[in-house]
Amino acid sequence: MSQEIAVVGSPEFTTGFRLAGVRRFENVPDDEKDERLDDAATAALEDEGVGIVVMHDDDLEYLSRSVRQEVETSVEPVVVTIGSGTGGGGLRDQIKRAIGIDLMDEDEQE
Amino acid sequence: MANDVKPTRKNLMAIEDRIELSERGHGTLEKKRDGLIMEFMDILDKAQDVRGDLAQDYEDAQKKINMARAMEGDVAVRGAASALQEHPEITTESKNIMGVVVPQIESSRVSKSLDQRGYGIMGTSARIDEAAEAYEDLLESIILAAEVETAMKKMLREIETTKRRVNALEFKLLPELYENQEYIEQKLEEQEREETFRLKKIKEKKEAEEKAEREAERAAEEAALEDAQPETAAQSPAANQ
Repeated sequence: MSQEIAVVGSPEFTTGFRLAGVRRFENVPDDEKDERLDDAATAALEDEGVGIVVMHDDDLEYLSRSVRQEVETSVEPVVVTIGSGTGGGGLRDQIKRAIGIDLMDEDEQE
Repeated sequence: MANDVKPTRKNLMAIEDRIELSERGHGTLEKKRDGLIMEFMDILDKAQDVRGDLAQDYEDAQKKINMARAMEGDVAVRGAASALQEHPEITTESKNIMGVVVPQIESSRVSKSLDQRGYGIMGTSARIDEAAEAYEDLLESIILAAEVETAMKKMLREIETTKRRVNALEFKLLPELYENQEYIEQKLEEQEREETFRLKKIKEKKEAEEKAEREAERAAEEAALEDAQPETAAQSPAANQ
């Protein structure tokens, strides 16, 4: 089954992806993120036609704890975060928990 | 708990079988955990490279769209974005790494030629084309990152589960089984000692009884002899005369 890519974030963030042909997007203006971003992210995650959800790293801060955890651990669809951070904050914690060492930190130090 | 087990030979044999199975399972799971960690290390290296490329592509794409916005205006960029006809699609196939099913994502219609994009060439500028192209490259990187990160998440879950199973066997199940085995062995030994002691006691009692019987018999014989001797003594002087 073919799926699509969805983008969730501010209109400035989503416009570029729409220029590349992405048609599933959730525009949430910066001043409404506290109220609406949770619902927008949940809607994208629950859409069966979506295989990848793209979000900005900074937007994760606006999500409630449960939605953020869902975003960080979701596999179908997988959420890719891009932006200021190195990405995969939740992934880093998961690595620490599963392996017992902060492998990402070690690699960064090298 | 050891106190819940009945100290019988049958239970001891059952526990020994369970210990053997658990030890074998523990060894196998440890090997699986180590194998998964090694595979994960390879994927992690790949993920770090992909993340680096992704950050670079995002930066380039942002620069280009900002340039397009500055030169053409936000309305023109949004207008072009709304006109897109071709939409990128992804299809997922699966690959098995040590029992973990990880996806292989195939993408189609991500990179498009100018005429496939759908917005008019006349009404837009090269800045918008460049931005669109940069975002198409970014999407390619995102798809690759999604593939690698999904594989990482799935492998991490499997590593965590396997680790938990190994720990449960090592620190919970096996110590309990060893404790039960020791308890039953001690109880059986104790029973054996009690049995030997009891047999010894019975033997001693029997021997004492037999001895007493023999002594009684001997005493009876002696008494009979003593009774018989005066009679013969009384008869002998008469015979001498």
